[in-house]
Amino acid sequence: MLQSLPYELPELITRAPLDTHRSTVIPEWVDWNGHMNVAFYVAAFDQASGAFMRNMGLGRRYVDGKLGMTFVLETHVTYDREVREGAPLRFTTQLLARDAKKVHLFHEMYHAEQDYLAATNETIVMNIDYETRRSGPWPVPVTERLDAIWETHKLLPKPAKAGRVMGLSRR
Amino acid sequence: MIDLDLRAPLDRHPATVLPDWIDWNGHMNVGYYVVAFDKATDTLCQQFGCGWEYTRDKIGMTFVLEAHVTYDREVKEGDGLRITTQILDHDAKRLHFIHMMYHATEGYLAATNELMLMNIDYQTRRSAPWPDFAMERIGKLAAAHATLPRPAQAGRLIGIKKK
Repeated sequence: MLQSLPYELPELITRAPLDTHRSTVIPEWVDWNGHMNVAFYVAAFDQASGAFMRNMGLGRRYVDGKLGMTFVLETHVTYDREVREGAPLRFTTQLLARDAKKVHLFHEMYHAEQDYLAATNETIVMNIDYETRRSGPWPVPVTERLDAIWETHKLLPKPAKAGRVMGLSRR
Repeated sequence: MIDLDLRAPLDRHPATVLPDWIDWNGHMNVGYYVVAFDKATDTLCQQFGCGWEYTRDKIGMTFVLEAHVTYDREVKEGDGLRITTQILDHDAKRLHFIHMMYHATEGYLAATNELMLMNIDYQTRRSAPWPDFAMERIGKLAAAHATLPRPAQAGRLIGIKKK
């Protein structure tokens, strides 16, 4: 387990949910239906996970410094409303749970101007040892930050769209 | 419309991991697994006449309502992939299915993608029943796939297990 990280960490944001990430629907994300393609919602949410990771102290320097990596194990997306090319997006991220090497996150994507919910993404991200490419515990400073983040996030209600199992509901 | 392929699961979608699909971890990025799976969804929809020509010809569209992905193992640039598809359930306007992505030469399971797809009216962009030609074929495919065991990756709930 890494006891420290050899770079300066950004100022910790404990505001819950985390709401710093912004994006825009670029032309490459739009498909033949004239809206953002399903896959690029996942790409956009992955960038929101990246924003959460940076707040934990795990940015690009973590990978480039060959210290470690973070891999997504599983993800669940609800597609709630279409977004078109050029649409500005804002994201919120709630920490639902964490353990020694994983975080369980819940993202919401909103149209930044019209303010409607476009999609949600529930995801599990795991810390990876750079050398073995296998799971390993978070570095110590990351665990300390996660503990501080959890203190505010644990007060949020569980989102209605978290914990979904897919299926056709029979009426 | 193409000939109906009633082999179960549907197994007619090869793919290759493109350079653009690789991220700074040196493997296929989580978003591009879904790009690859979405192309396999089109291969499925071709089976019942609702592939891209369906939208090109302004007959209708298909929208994904919900998706669940398990990332089981890494794949690297240039790797060959094989994606199989199993129908799990359907109703008048929706289709529930799961894709399995395998490494084409090493044979291991790389990822799965469970999806709920809905038929959309081209004019209103709202849900609508499958056209008759599609419904007939979906029924045949679903009957052929009904003999398959339900994959363990279907119907999963996300969470961190408490020890």
